[in-house]
Amino acid sequence: MLSCDNGLIGYGSSVYEKRATRTEYSYLAEAARAALASAGVDKSEVDGLAISSTTLPPDNAATAAEYLGLELSWASVSTAGGAGAVISAINATQAVESGKARYVLCLAGGAQDMAFFQDRMLRFNAAIADYLAPHGFGGMNGLFAIITRKHMERYGTGREQLGRIAVHQRANARLNEQALLRDPMTMEDYLNAPVIADPLVLFDCVLPCSGAEAVLVGPLDRVAKEKQVRVQAGAERHNHPVGEVAPLSGGWEVFRDDLFNEAALGPGDMDFVQAYDDYPIMVAIQLEDLGFCEKGGIGPFLEANTMTWDGSFPLNTGGAQLSCGQSGGGGGLITLVEAVRQLRGEAGPRQMKNANHGLVSGYGMVGYGHGLSASAMILESVT
Amino acid sequence: MTATQSNPAYPQPRETPTNAPMLAAWREGMLALQECDVCGHVFFYPRSVCPNCWDPSLTWITSDGRGRIVSFSRIHRGLPEAFADEAPIVLAEIAVTEGALMLARIICDDAEAIQSALPVRLLSKPEAARYPLPTFTLD
Ligand SMILES: [Zn+2]
Repeated sequence: MLSCDNGLIGYGSSVYEKRATRTEYSYLAEAARAALASAGVDKSEVDGLAISSTTLPPDNAATAAEYLGLELSWASVSTAGGAGAVISAINATQAVESGKARYVLCLAGGAQDMAFFQDRMLRFNAAIADYLAPHGFGGMNGLFAIITRKHMERYGTGREQLGRIAVHQRANARLNEQALLRDPMTMEDYLNAPVIADPLVLFDCVLPCSGAEAVLVGPLDRVAKEKQVRVQAGAERHNHPVGEVAPLSGGWEVFRDDLFNEAALGPGDMDFVQAYDDYPIMVAIQLEDLGFCEKGGIGPFLEANTMTWDGSFPLNTGGAQLSCGQSGGGGGLITLVEAVRQLRGEAGPRQMKNANHGLVSGYGMVGYGHGLSASAMILESVT
Repeated sequence: MTATQSNPAYPQPRETPTNAPMLAAWREGMLALQECDVCGHVFFYPRSVCPNCWDPSLTWITSDGRGRIVSFSRIHRGLPEAFADEAPIVLAEIAVTEGALMLARIICDDAEAIQSALPVRLLSKPEAARYPLPTFTLD
């Protein structure tokens, strides 16, 4: 158990927009205000800050504190891309547990649109700038298309099977006012969408957008019992497997057994999964690596299950990035915020009946060919 | 045969002491890989130390310029302006003879002819001049 007494006591989201109308700090502050309000904690009580953002540098945790008028005893910035926010929340829980801070705000977001994102991708890191951008590599779409084709050819995974992730998440998003993409989507719509980077089509690729997410970590007894969310276990892994360019695993399988053992639970005990969904293939690989089905078995697994909030395998119950949009680093936190909503019973029209345990996973920091960072945590509703 | 011109609109790799020998070899239409003097590891992209054992004693070797497609994509949309006219661009994971894995473009008149496991070879020197990094064609 990561912590018995400290955990997630607040959560919040900003508005999502296709184009930035404000600065990244504006979106972060809007999400943070909502998180504090949901916990009944005042800004003056916050003494810890964990920001997950790839667009914040050269600003850092201390300059963020200056901008937002916070005085801190613990501060961190994660640079693990879409895996960073979950890692932030794990670290924040440990910081509170060890007494380094009492109330830690975990923030993630971005102020961007498609043009900003496409330009930034060319300079995402040195390996991409020097060895991929000169090829006209098509951004992340090109790289994840290569991984998707490899999985399809090695394991016989079908487009229609992977498409169920996008289609079912869209059904979830239709009950989420925050989602930027809420039009109904059928399997036929999915299969006939314009090809972006084959085998990927339009609905396989996230929409870069502006927005932010926040959670507040602190002593659980600060909020009413039904609002307490315990962090049972958390783990991260970077650059697994070493030396591969387009691997079909991402690192979760390395810590999976330890993660579930720490929580004294198994995959079958999870009432839902909120997985990092930059592309359906990465959701598929996360579910395999985390043990929800065997490696290569995701196709039949998806076919046998319904991934809607009220389905046999509730997955990304708010529609996640594929339907809400990818708000920069916020893409790594939208999953955790939705998990807290479900566990508190505050998910409105998409509230699950029995949400007691859930798994949240993160993924990101694309280097020369694939995302280098993986993370996951297991959460429990205290009541 | 006249050499094709390099395309100044393409993003160019930054030349550093670490990657200069690879970029110089490509200007001659060759693929230069690094081999670790200590552990024998052969790798791409260029680094100042061996990623396997961290030894800085590395020797540049010339690849035979051949390899096999591991996986690939035909990229139709979302390309930077300099590449938009060339859609679809074929980007592939390639296992070269010497054992290194790399991502590179494959130039092919008929993109539909590309398949995983097909053999590829480097473009000829005159064709190579247009492209900033080692680029392949079907063998
Ligand atoms: Zn070595």
